[in-house]
Amino acid sequence: MRRTRSIASMLTSVNMLVSGVALLLAAVALGAYDRSSFREGTLRSLSIQAQIIASNSISSLVFNDPSAAQASLAALKASPNIVAAHIETLDGKLFARYQPATLGHALAAPTIAPNEVEAWRLEGDGIALARMIAFNGRAVGRVSIESNLNDLTARRAQYLGIIATVLIASMLAALLVSLFSHRIVSRPIVNLAAIARRVSHEKDYAVRAPTAASANEIVVLTDAFNEMLAEIQRRDNSLHDARNSLETRVQQRTADLEAANQELEAFTYSVSHDLRAPLRHVTGFAALLAGHLQGQLDAQGDRYLQTITKAAQRMGQLIDDLLAFSRISRGHLVRRPVNLGELVHEARQEVLATDTGIEGRNIEWQISDLPCVEGDPAMLRLALVNLLSNAVKYTAPRAVARIEVGSRCETDGEIIVFVRDNGVGFEMEYVDKLFGVFQRLHSADQFEGTGIGLANVKRIVQRHGGRVWAEGQPDHGAVFSFSLPTERRS
Amino acid sequence: MKQLSLALFHGQQTRPQDYEVKAAYLFNFGRFATWPGSATAAEGPSINVCVIGRDPFGTVLDSTLAGETIDGKNVAVKRIIAAKDAAGCRILFVSASEELQVSQILEVIGRAAVLTVSDLPGFTARGGMIQFVLQDNRVRFEVNLAAAEQANLKLSSELLKVATTVRGTFRPAE
Repeated sequence: MRRTRSIASMLTSVNMLVSGVALLLAAVALGAYDRSSFREGTLRSLSIQAQIIASNSISSLVFNDPSAAQASLAALKASPNIVAAHIETLDGKLFARYQPATLGHALAAPTIAPNEVEAWRLEGDGIALARMIAFNGRAVGRVSIESNLNDLTARRAQYLGIIATVLIASMLAALLVSLFSHRIVSRPIVNLAAIARRVSHEKDYAVRAPTAASANEIVVLTDAFNEMLAEIQRRDNSLHDARNSLETRVQQRTADLEAANQELEAFTYSVSHDLRAPLRHVTGFAALLAGHLQGQLDAQGDRYLQTITKAAQRMGQLIDDLLAFSRISRGHLVRRPVNLGELVHEARQEVLATDTGIEGRNIEWQISDLPCVEGDPAMLRLALVNLLSNAVKYTAPRAVARIEVGSRCETDGEIIVFVRDNGVGFEMEYVDKLFGVFQRLHSADQFEGTGIGLANVKRIVQRHGGRVWAEGQPDHGAVFSFSLPTERRS
Repeated sequence: MKQLSLALFHGQQTRPQDYEVKAAYLFNFGRFATWPGSATAAEGPSINVCVIGRDPFGTVLDSTLAGETIDGKNVAVKRIIAAKDAAGCRILFVSASEELQVSQILEVIGRAAVLTVSDLPGFTARGGMIQFVLQDNRVRFEVNLAAAEQANLKLSSELLKVATTVRGTFRPAE
């Protein structure tokens, strides 16, 4: 309810400020006007008194009778504010004077300009007026009267009292008005603010601001706010529904896909498995036939038989590879810490021991330190064997084969392992085909193999949550890389 | 010293500068007096301020009145010998030399609207209208209001206010 106070007191202060400023401005204007009109009034009355004295003292001046002038001046005692009055002759000699004992003379008489008959001077709390005394158009002397401004001071005090009273009264009135306006204006706004806060904090779009009888704009504001809430709620609901149905659909599709994939893999496995038995018969009986017909076959028959045997062997190899691939896809993934360095070493030994045509080759190995990762050691080993074997295979035409194995760490925690060779390379436009099952860029005559190796690598890396890719250029070697995420625990 | 010896009257010294003052007063009396219409209508083109007897002012009166006007008429100084010549005068100054003839002069003038002025002692008591007196070494004057009223001359209350003594019925308010 802290806001309630702030908006209400804001309205109150604005009300009081406005009325206070208006009143003060009015008071200042009225005060200034009153002061100037009072001063003018004082001047006018001084002037009239000076004129009366002037006309009454003409004969005194003309016939040099100061006592008569003194009597004229004495009439001034009817005005309590007159503090001094003088009549001077034309040559500036004091002719007669009036000075009540109460107050001393303070102001010098103002100088009258040559063509003027009257002059006045306002100084401090006094005002002095001087007037020429003329007789038959000729100056015969001068009268000066000085008045204090006690009346003005008293008037000012009275004035300030009135202003203070009215100011206090209007402040109280403003206070009452703002208390009333608080009910009409600020309370609906405060309610609205509270609802808005609740909506933004609790994301509760079901609440509505109460519509109260109030100023038109506030009603419009409240209605618009409620409409907005309703709209948000509507959209929120439909968004929620859409997300739910989407999730269900995705789950459904994923399940379908998984089922289909499993079926396909089971089919592949069983087909491969079932194909092996007749194939064994083909190779077995081909061998028996070769023994049986030993020495009876001509060269052509011999070649036919050899071709049958070779083709059957190759087919057996293909089936084995297919089964291995299937196992990789279906087999259980065991995660444990793996020393990649050791794994590469083992893979290299295996490649050197098993690969055909390795004798007499000059191969420079350059293997950097490799980190420990987490993964299935058997599978990763198979992937590395495939990559190294590939590298050895495709560097065969080189007098000195150079194979480099290294790794680097990416900022996002990925470890990237690469195998670089200076082999025959490949066209980058066929890079997508490299990792497909039985996809080959070279004929079996050029480089032997079934074309399943890189497919295995891809499948193994993918099952570890990583990626594989390759870069190459014809006759300039190739780089095969795969990444392994290290933060698998999350 | 020579001028001072000229003016010695009844123990009171009349100084030469007093005649300058008197000359100015003489003219100014006219400003505070009102003549009846019959008198002003019968007048010539100028207003005459007359001196009867030996003129004590010398040139002072002429220079004082030079260029002055009353009611738009020029003011002229006229020196007369016989009282009967005073008919065309608005103001008549009776010189001290006429001390013995004062009563005769006033009698000749009678009720004619002529403002009679003199510095002769007892002038107002003898029927003159305004008489110069010296008071505290200042030139003052006394007024015989009854004489002025008999001649249909109206004297301003302002004038009476500054007079030392006013003979006659009217008393100005203090």
